[in-house]
Amino acid sequence: MLPCACAQLTASGNESTNARIPRGSLNMDSAWTALDMETQTMLKTAIKDPKTVDLEKLSNAVVEHSLKDLSFCKDAGRMCYAVVQAEAQKTASSVFRRNLLNRLQQEFIAREETRKRSMQEWVCVVTFICSIFDYIKVNNSPIAALVDPVYDCLFGLAQPDSLMNEEEVDCLVVQLHRVGEQLEQTNSERMNQLFYLLRDGFLLQEDLSSMTRLLLLEILEFRASGWTLSETAHKYYYSEVAD
Amino acid sequence: MSEQQKYKYENDYKSSEDRNKGASRWSQCRKRGADGILRKSHADEEPGKDQRCSKRSESFTTPESEGPVSRIKNWGDEVEEQEMRTNVRRDFHRYRRRILASDFPQRDRKISSGSSDSRDSRDSKESPAKGDIETDETTLIRRQKQINYGKNTLAYDRYIKEVPKHLRQPGVHPKTPNKFKKYSRRSWDQQIKLWRVKLHAWDPPAEEGSDFQQIEEIDLGEIMDFELDVETTENTESQCSSSNGAAQSLQEDAFMETPKKMMKIEDSDMS
Repeated sequence: MLPCACAQLTASGNESTNARIPRGSLNMDSAWTALDMETQTMLKTAIKDPKTVDLEKLSNAVVEHSLKDLSFCKDAGRMCYAVVQAEAQKTASSVFRRNLLNRLQQEFIAREETRKRSMQEWVCVVTFICSIFDYIKVNNSPIAALVDPVYDCLFGLAQPDSLMNEEEVDCLVVQLHRVGEQLEQTNSERMNQLFYLLRDGFLLQEDLSSMTRLLLLEILEFRASGWTLSETAHKYYYSEVAD
Repeated sequence: MSEQQKYKYENDYKSSEDRNKGASRWSQCRKRGADGILRKSHADEEPGKDQRCSKRSESFTTPESEGPVSRIKNWGDEVEEQEMRTNVRRDFHRYRRRILASDFPQRDRKISSGSSDSRDSRDSKESPAKGDIETDETTLIRRQKQINYGKNTLAYDRYIKEVPKHLRQPGVHPKTPNKFKKYSRRSWDQQIKLWRVKLHAWDPPAEEGSDFQQIEEIDLGEIMDFELDVETTENTESQCSSSNGAAQSLQEDAFMETPKKMMKIEDSDMS
């Protein structure tokens, strides 16, 4: 048992106040209202009548906003997918998806600088990319072009200096909960390597916070049980413990 | 490239004073410095690499770079290719099932729309499933792109609304060429051409804005008929097949795309 076994996993870094790590509360409303009115309207119109909207402009606005708002990032993927599908069905084109991905690619390429400049923005970039990976599918498969970039981001978060930063650790475990299983299906070798890093971090890095250790232990166990938690494990990590 | 020279260039790269040698992060790949002098270290590099080099990020020059992630292609293109590929594969499996099913006496099964119409399965005696299906993915994808250009037109939309499949008469009504049948390159391209031209019968009626476009298109159509391999347009717009929101320009672009794209493929595909 960890010395800090009584520490409960709270929604550290997340907006909601549940005792659980929220698996991306699928509440579209929060994502909508986070946007400014103009973008909100554009989005709604784009879903109803894609032809009338400047989709390139919309995709830029969505990405821009995602960099500033972490809670938005989580469900943004679902909203984006709604636009992608509407465009595909009603106009047989994919302007929105293409622009969204290319814009995202720019953010991805610049991630090192972004991280140095703003930890929050970096975390938003990762969250948003993972959200897109999670929601936007191509003929029922995840976007192949995003697999390695997502891994690259997660590897970045698993570096020793990033493990010292709770904001990044939180992002790492949340994303692994969301897309870990899918990611592993597309490339299991890289997932193995990622988890070696996490295991090493957990075992060898002495200066990790106890919360970080708990989060790492949970994700290690989560994956080991096939991307799920047994009931006992769930109770261990997520129940309220009386002081 | 000697170690010293490499170090020198990396130094120059970092210093901002020596502009002629190219202090910008992209210039390491360039053949000549700004002063026009050929760099020794890159004398053996093809000039064509410049373009690709300029897209590479700083990390490329260091051994510990993150890896070859999306250096040349952008994600937008990659996802479209993935979609095209998976669509073609799915069509292929459907088609094969249909062909195989038609070998059995279950003719009254309703055959859904897809890459070929029901008549093809009846023709299966002439083209038995095993040997005569086009399976080369590159070919199938190229053919699908050509079909997509045609289907992305207003004319096609109007056509399918006006004439349901069961009312179509051969010869009178245009029929989408079956990409899974074995055809020579020229034969296929000609079929596409004829199909596109036939579809024009369903072009939207000439309105104020579309008059100009209508005339242009008809002219090009006639040129296409008479001169097979001549460049019909000097337009160098990009090859992207998607719309820019305006349906009319979509039609024009789509129409003008095909000959260019076919021409381009003819040039590059020597097989």
